Amino acid sequence: MRPFVLKAAATALTMATTVASALFVTSHLKNPAAPLQPSVLTVSRNDVGGLIVGPSVQAADVEPVTSTYAS
Amino acid sequence: MRPENSIESHHFEALGTTCALFAVGLARARLLEAEDWTRRTGARLTRFSPDSELSILNASAGRWVDVGAELEAVLRESLLAFELSAGLVNVAVLPAMLAAGYTRSLAEGPTVATLDARGVPRLPDVLEVGRGRARIAPGSGVDLGGIAKGWMADRLCEMFGPNFVANLGGDLRAAGAGPRGDGWPVGIGGTTLALRDHGAATSSVRRRRWGAALHHLIDPRSGLPARTGLDEVSVVARSAVEAEVVAKTALVLGPDLAPAYCARHALAYWLEASHDG
Repeated sequence: MRPFVLKAAATALTMATTVASALFVTSHLKNPAAPLQPSVLTVSRNDVGGLIVGPSVQAADVEPVTSTYAS
Repeated sequence: MRPENSIESHHFEALGTTCALFAVGLARARLLEAEDWTRRTGARLTRFSPDSELSILNASAGRWVDVGAELEAVLRESLLAFELSAGLVNVAVLPAMLAAGYTRSLAEGPTVATLDARGVPRLPDVLEVGRGRARIAPGSGVDLGGIAKGWMADRLCEMFGPNFVANLGGDLRAAGAGPRGDGWPVGIGGTTLALRDHGAATSSVRRRRWGAALHHLIDPRSGLPARTGLDEVSVVARSAVEAEVVAKTALVLGPDLAPAYCARHALAYWLEASHDG
């Protein structure tokens, strides 16, 4: 009798934990429609042929002292 | 904006290209010291001199060879570049470069190309680096190329900073606030950017070419000169060597994948498509 009770209790505990986890996860989704990351994968081929400057680099309004070039 | 400080500059020919150094608040003698370091280090890292450390390593046929701190550091940087580029920047392209006819400095002219499409081995499979020593598998060889120039530009700024620019044939590092306090004005893609503790590099198939489809930039996937739809890529990154790796990777990736790769890895970038389609 006792082994049967232990098995039944373990099964019930497992199922209850599974249901509780599923409920917890689904109730904490902030935005199910959020796009996958990284967002840079949406960059298009139109970026070929232009200078793309990120926020950590600033343009300067003076003549360059030197340049990067192919050598 | 602060008033502009005077810039000390020095230009010289080394590493098979034109080098330029700029500094604020540094005596000219120190720039000459920087030139001397550049020449001495370049002489150890070149494959065009049979007596260089690199040539001795390339000729070692699988034996462990003692290497200096500079060569060890650049070899380790090359292994990192292989990882960062998912294998597209692979200094083990030397046998493919030789097959393409790039057997000596292009100032002496190319030799006959004996192209045969063969993949380039994975760098970690053929290069081992230990403390003060390295080993290259028999039949393999490395050309440190732009990685060595980028690494040297980074080291020059460490040694001669804090307000210093090293431009070694287009692989450059700008350290410090520059002459006006808002960064060093550096040209990239026809625009001037204020670089402050940044690196920049350009990778191109327009230079160092000696035939319609023969140039120095080998695609490790084919073992042949890259033909990807991009002719030139310029990149700004956190260091010169990183900019070199990102630019070369983008060029090999081609116009479909390079924008996304650069958006992820570059701070600024310029991609130029091939005109011949």
